[in-house]
Amino acid sequence: MMPIWTKSGKKHAVTLLKVQDCHVLRYVSKEESGGKTSKLLVGGKNVSPFYKSESAMEIFKEAGVPRKQKVTTFNVTDDAIIKPGTPLYAAHFRPGQFVDVTAKTIGKGFQGVMKRWGFKGQPASHGQTKTHRRPGAISTNKAAKVYRGKKMPGKMGNVYRTSFGLKVWRINTKHDIIYVNGSVPGHTNCLVKVKDSKLPTYKDYNKNPPFPTFFADGDEKLPEDLYDEEIFQFTDPSVTYA
Amino acid sequence: RISSDGKPAKFQPPPKPVIIDKQKQREERRFLSPEFIPPRGRTDPLKFYIERKDMIQRRKVINIPEFYVGHVLAVTTADPYANDKANRFVGICIQRGGKGLGATFVLRNVIEDQGVEICYELYSPRIQAIEVLKLEKRLDDNLMYLRDALPEYSTFDMNMKPASRLDHEEIPVNKLQVRMKPKPWSKRWERPKYNIKGIKFELPEKKMKEAQKWSQPWLEFDMLREYDTSKIEDKIWKEVSEELKK
Repeated sequence: MMPIWTKSGKKHAVTLLKVQDCHVLRYVSKEESGGKTSKLLVGGKNVSPFYKSESAMEIFKEAGVPRKQKVTTFNVTDDAIIKPGTPLYAAHFRPGQFVDVTAKTIGKGFQGVMKRWGFKGQPASHGQTKTHRRPGAISTNKAAKVYRGKKMPGKMGNVYRTSFGLKVWRINTKHDIIYVNGSVPGHTNCLVKVKDSKLPTYKDYNKNPPFPTFFADGDEKLPEDLYDEEIFQFTDPSVTYA
Repeated sequence: RISSDGKPAKFQPPPKPVIIDKQKQREERRFLSPEFIPPRGRTDPLKFYIERKDMIQRRKVINIPEFYVGHVLAVTTADPYANDKANRFVGICIQRGGKGLGATFVLRNVIEDQGVEICYELYSPRIQAIEVLKLEKRLDDNLMYLRDALPEYSTFDMNMKPASRLDHEEIPVNKLQVRMKPKPWSKRWERPKYNIKGIKFELPEKKMKEAQKWSQPWLEFDMLREYDTSKIEDKIWKEVSEELKK
């Protein structure tokens, strides 16, 4: 995470996400998958092919791509279908867009009710016998049962969670890095899924995105760094208030 | 001339003169700002490389001078609520923290009997200029104890003239022992965990001995805490100096 300053002098914290060897693996049509839209399987980071069975490696062989650590699905409309085997780059996103980021949260193991659900616990002194971090009562008398989904101690973390509506401030095309506002679930160097935001307020913000994706061997030559309009670039002189 | 053996003396050439190039000796002192050194962790080095590029870009626009804890600095920042839209603050640097773009330094001064500490970010775009007014290192890396010292040690004139820069010579160390206000202090500075050498402790011997109870003499031998930065520093110093010369 890094600080970023706007032209008015305000500071924002930014997370760096690297797009590492992403390829499209397979196209699944609407009828095959049985959903509302067709799907595209996309694979992430490259890993060694020697630790998996042949059947699992079939998808990668078809696409002609080294084995990937993570495979995710994206729901795509019919006009945005990409041929399997095309690489995906960070320039797929542009500064000023809004993005949802999904990842597995940091695993905390078996945790008590105070850390997992934020219960208040009991006082440390004034006669409390062996009760300082316990949940207390778990149901009422009339219910005569414990409801399903009652907040109790258990394994915490290591679950997929999403942070919605994160602004993309800057994109580095040379190293394929996306600068995303705020924090993102997961530990450092974990695998993360980045999608266009589904929030209704940000529906019109993606003006002229590279559609269906940014092709590196195409005609467009992008500069090394793409900045949002409001970012203070370090090549400019210091901010002054007129 | 006749030598003792009777043979003619072999010609001994005169010893070669040793040329001490004073300019080269001076240039050997290199300073790498501590926020360039990456902290120990499992982060990708690419992230530090990209941050360093941004830091070097900023340093090309504004000259961030070499300074240590104990120097007296004057910082002018852009302020939308001031008359001239610029705000100048003079103070002694008591702490330098943070790594990368978020590096900060705290300046302390006593203005009209009120102690004021301001934490500035080195790479913030609102900073217009940083000048070094007085060059001197102190015995410690962290001068937070000046909050509990007598106010005369933290007062500096706002209109102080900048001292002449001794180029390429050793920065003088001020071995000043500061006198403190009576206890209670904000932190127990006599305890060995702070390792402060710049205070003149006027406490009784018994209290000083009791404070040594909290010493942890095994810490300096702990091998897992070792972080040797000499090689990393060399690499980064070369990279940074090359980029800045362009």
